[in-house]
Order: sequence, then structure tokens, then C-alpha cells
Amino acid sequence: MIHHLIRGIILTGFAFLIVYLVRSDNLTLYIAPRMAGYVKVSALVLYAAAIYQFYAAFQTWMGRTAAVDCGCDHTPSHSLLKNTLIYGLFVFPLALGFLLPDTMMGSSLAAKKGISLSGSQSINRPDETASASSQEGPIDELDRLFPSDIYTESYAKNGKKLYLQDVIKVEEKQFIETLTTIDLYREQYIGKTIELSGFVYREEKMSEQQFVVSRFAMNCCSADSLPYGLMISSPEAIHFDNDTWLQVRGTIMIGTYNGNEIIIVKAQKLEQIAAPDSPYVYPDYDFGL
Amino acid sequence: MRFVLRFVPPILTLLCLFMIGLILFERQLAGLTLNVSALQSFKILFISLILEAFPFILLGVIVSSLLQVFVSDRLIQRLTPKNPIGGVLFGSLLGLLFPLCECGMIPVVRRLIRKGMPAYIGLVFILAGPILNPIVYTSTYTAFRSQPEIAYSRMALAFAVTVMIGLLLYRFMRFNPLRHDKPTLGIQNAGHSHSHNHSHVHTHSHEHDHSHEISGTGFRGRFTSVLSHASDEFFEMGKYLIFGALLTAWIQTSISRSTLTGIGDHPWFSHLFMMGFAFILSICSTSDAFVAASFGGTFSSGSLLAFLVFGPMIDLKNTLMLLSTFKTKVVLWLILMCGVFVLIGSYLIEYFYLN
Repeated sequence: MIHHLIRGIILTGFAFLIVYLVRSDNLTLYIAPRMAGYVKVSALVLYAAAIYQFYAAFQTWMGRTAAVDCGCDHTPSHSLLKNTLIYGLFVFPLALGFLLPDTMMGSSLAAKKGISLSGSQSINRPDETASASSQEGPIDELDRLFPSDIYTESYAKNGKKLYLQDVIKVEEKQFIETLTTIDLYREQYIGKTIELSGFVYREEKMSEQQFVVSRFAMNCCSADSLPYGLMISSPEAIHFDNDTWLQVRGTIMIGTYNGNEIIIVKAQKLEQIAAPDSPYVYPDYDFGL
Repeated sequence: MRFVLRFVPPILTLLCLFMIGLILFERQLAGLTLNVSALQSFKILFISLILEAFPFILLGVIVSSLLQVFVSDRLIQRLTPKNPIGGVLFGSLLGLLFPLCECGMIPVVRRLIRKGMPAYIGLVFILAGPILNPIVYTSTYTAFRSQPEIAYSRMALAFAVTVMIGLLLYRFMRFNPLRHDKPTLGIQNAGHSHSHNHSHVHTHSHEHDHSHEISGTGFRGRFTSVLSHASDEFFEMGKYLIFGALLTAWIQTSISRSTLTGIGDHPWFSHLFMMGFAFILSICSTSDAFVAASFGGTFSSGSLLAFLVFGPMIDLKNTLMLLSTFKTKVVLWLILMCGVFVLIGSYLIEYFYLN
């Protein structure tokens, strides 16, 4: 009976942890929105299982056995120590979840995960000569600036769109895709004005005038999220601590860091902002469709 | 290995209790070197790994319980192919029909094996299912837009590896791979598939005698028995899931990726390194392609392929869950076979197809 009670309490605990995270709008700090629905449903299932456990405890208390035949052995161990430890293992995440405040991933995790300063690395730069000949009809100026093959077509299209804007705004919706596009065709964007927001992150090798403005990109959960960002250069850099949220406006330049050619944004305006409600960005699955 | 399994979870739990203590008395122990930001990072990863796995593990235990209560052993035995080639193909392509994540698969497969499905088919399904399914194909294709051959070769290599392992298991595995299980159980149960209205006594060799009483027929009885199975199995799987998530989160918050990539830079080691990395990351097969894509600049396509094929088959979290269900010897052989075949396969594919 005691097992049913403890299990019931643990299951209720997990169900309430999920409800609590949903109510406080903090579920998205752990799970991507596309997964959130499934997690909410699992709270219901956990709750149903908890009710069953309480019911079984009640049945046992009344002297009836609620056990069912399954040809398998679910009998809990009889060792008190072992049981305490196993239930402790379940209580541990609950305690962490309820007792520690929910925080967002910041520069300390970015340092562990390793930041990407040039968008998604899986895109190869298209071969310029090959694409020029594959185009049919007259090639206008823009097509020459944004050569593409079949794989980078969507980036070239996005690149032309961004190129025509006065100020390139890196929106949350296509954060990674925009950074990848700009990096892919970085020579065409030199001198353009760009605007983005994110948290401040530093590495030891950066100079005093440099920091990165970064966002975490999440697919399913925090474990698979990775930080993406742009290097910012500003004489005021030292005034901003790590994890400060900034809105940055600056000019795109090209520089090197760790031996790689990267984009460096020379800041014109740095404005401290409050951390947004949705601090993470997500890959846009409709990009290029 | 049994020793490790027996003592490591309790010791870690003790550590956990100690950490709970630390959290509760945080103020008093502020001077102690408990790095708050590291603890916060640990919490984020730990909780998110558990929350992410919940829907799948719940789905898995529910499907497993539904199978137990509503599907007869005889039906399962009739549906599974008798021929080994057919069996291996069946197991490796079952993922096309049931695109389940690896967390949800283990309870289902255990149930199917208990109900009389040949064990080698079940093991092949566990290895192939998380890769050979439409969701994973699409996400790999999306993550590697500019290199669709990564998605093709991921599917091909996973298929080749699981077929080889399946045939080897069929040929050499001569015992029941399930832990804590009497080999005759599947056959014993085959007799009473439809009428769930008699009670009988099982004698378990390693536990005390206990009688199972059927709580009732009809929908209500079956519904409660589904819930009963599901919640019992949730606790059985859950302890390994939480333990695995704990280890994974701890490793990820204490070792930085740049340290790791420093080790793995050598071309000869890169495949092995990426496999080890996939092992400790323990991320879901539907999202690992995006993580692999972020390594595109640093690592060769072949080593990314090794990451993408080995990770879903064997990782820290699912090794622990496999150990909860299968004998240690079987799990070790599986890890060894997957490791060797994926390593060789990814070198061959890199040499002949990629680049």
C-alpha cells in the first residue's frame, strides 16, 4: 500500500510540475513549442496514473488486491534502503524543478556548448562559376551577386530580399536562417546596417572591445539547443556584463577570429533591453518552401 | 557490470539527496564552492531531458499495456515472420509504421518479446526504429539541405548495420535476452489469451510467491489493468531514464565542447570521437541532425554520419534503459557490434560515396 501511495504522490508531483511550468509560462525554457503540446498531454496521463495508484492504495487498505496478471514481475524490492534511494531518484528532479528558480540558458552554457558565429555550418558556399552558367535567360545584377546551386537557392532568394532592405533586421522567426544567409554572402553585405538582439557572451580570446550578441536555438529541448550569434565590436563593450540583453544596431564588416573569416558588426547603437519572454529561437521549417 | 548496476544508482541517489540538502540550505552554505550558474545549467538540461522523454515513455508504456491487455500472444506469434531474413527485414522496417522514439520503444519491445515475438526481431527494431522512420528522414534532410546524401547514407548505413546485427543475433543468440524473466513465460501465457477471468498462481524463482487476481472483465477491468501496467512500467523505466538524464546533464555542464573538439580533431579519431560524443549527448534522433549540422565546418561528413547512425542506436540514456530490460551481456554485445559496424560502415561510405 505504501508503494502505491508514494508512487501516486510522485506521479502527481510530475503532473503538477508540468502544470506549474505551463502556468508560469516557463515550459518554453525547457521544451520547444512544437513539443509543448505532447508534454501537456503527458501531464494528464501522469495524473490519471496517479489517481489509479491512490485507488489501488485504497483497495489494498480495504483488504482487496488490485494486482493484475501480466506474466511479469513488478513487485517492488523489499529492501528499505533500496526503495528510499529509488524513490529519491524520482524526487530529485521534482525538488530541483520546484525549489530552484527557472532561469534561461545564458553565457555559461554557451561557453560549454560552443558558439557558432557564422550561422549553420552545413551549408557549403556555392561555386560561383557553375551557377552563372546554369541560369537561363538574362542574368541581372542581383543574380550575379547571389550565385546559388539547387541546395542554396532558398538562401540566395532570402539574400536578395535582405539586400534590398535599408536596415537588415534579424527577426526571431528566421534567426538562424538570416545569419546563415548573411554569412554565406557576406561580401555583398559589407557596409550594410544590421539590427539584432540577444544576450552578451564573451570568450577569453576576444579583445576588450569585442563581445558576441547571441541567441540559443532550440529544436526539441535545451539539451539539443546551440547558441548562434554575431561578433560585435564597440569601444563601449566593457560596460556590458555577460548575459545582459542588448538591442544592437551596427555596420557589417569582415574580420577574423580564431583564424576564420567572420562577420563583425561595428556597433552604432547599443541599447540595454529586458530579456524577452521567449528568449530562444527555433529553426523555421517552412524556410525556402 | 552487475556490480556497477547494483551499486551505482544508489550511490548517485545518495549524492542527489546530498545535493537536495545543499539546495535547501543554500544560504548557510553559500561560502561552499557550489557554483550556482553551473547548478542552474544542470537543472535546465536535466529537467528538459526528462520532460522531453515523458511523452514518448508514456506512449511506450501505454502501448505496451494495451498490447498486454488487448492483443493475444497467439496473434503476435502469427504475425511475426518465421524466416530469419524476413524477421530481420520486418524488425528493421517496423519503424516506418511506428515512428517511436527510442525511449518509448523499449517497453513495447519487451512486451512483444514476452508475448512470443523472437527476441532478435525486437532487438533489431530497437536499433533500427529510431533512424529508419519518415520523421527522422525528413529532419535529417532539412538539417543538411545542401548535402542530401547525408540523409540517404544515414538511412542506408542504419539499415545495413541492423540487418547484419539481426542476422548475427539470430545465428548466435541462444538464450532469452530479457532480464528477470523465466524463459518459458511466453509459452505459459499463450494458453489463456482471451478469457481474463480465471486466477492462477505464478511462482517466481527469485521472488516470493504471490498470486495475481484478475480484477475484473469488461471495459472497466481492462482499463484499470492498462493503468496498472502503465504506471508500474513507468516507474521501472523511469528510474533509468532519470539516472541517464542526470549523467547526461552532468557531463554536458561540466565538459565543454571546445575541449572535446580539441581531442577529436585528428582525422583518424574523428569518427570514433563523434560516436562517443553522440553517446554522451543522448539527444533524440529527430533533432540530432541539427546538432550534427552545427559541426559541419569542423568535422568530415563521414564522422557526422557515424554520429547520426550510432547515437540513436546506442547512447548513455538508452543504454541504461536497455540494461533495465536486457541482460548485461546482451547489451554489451549490442554496443560492441553497433560500434564496430558503424565505424567501418561510415569509413566505407565516406571513402566511396561522400566527398
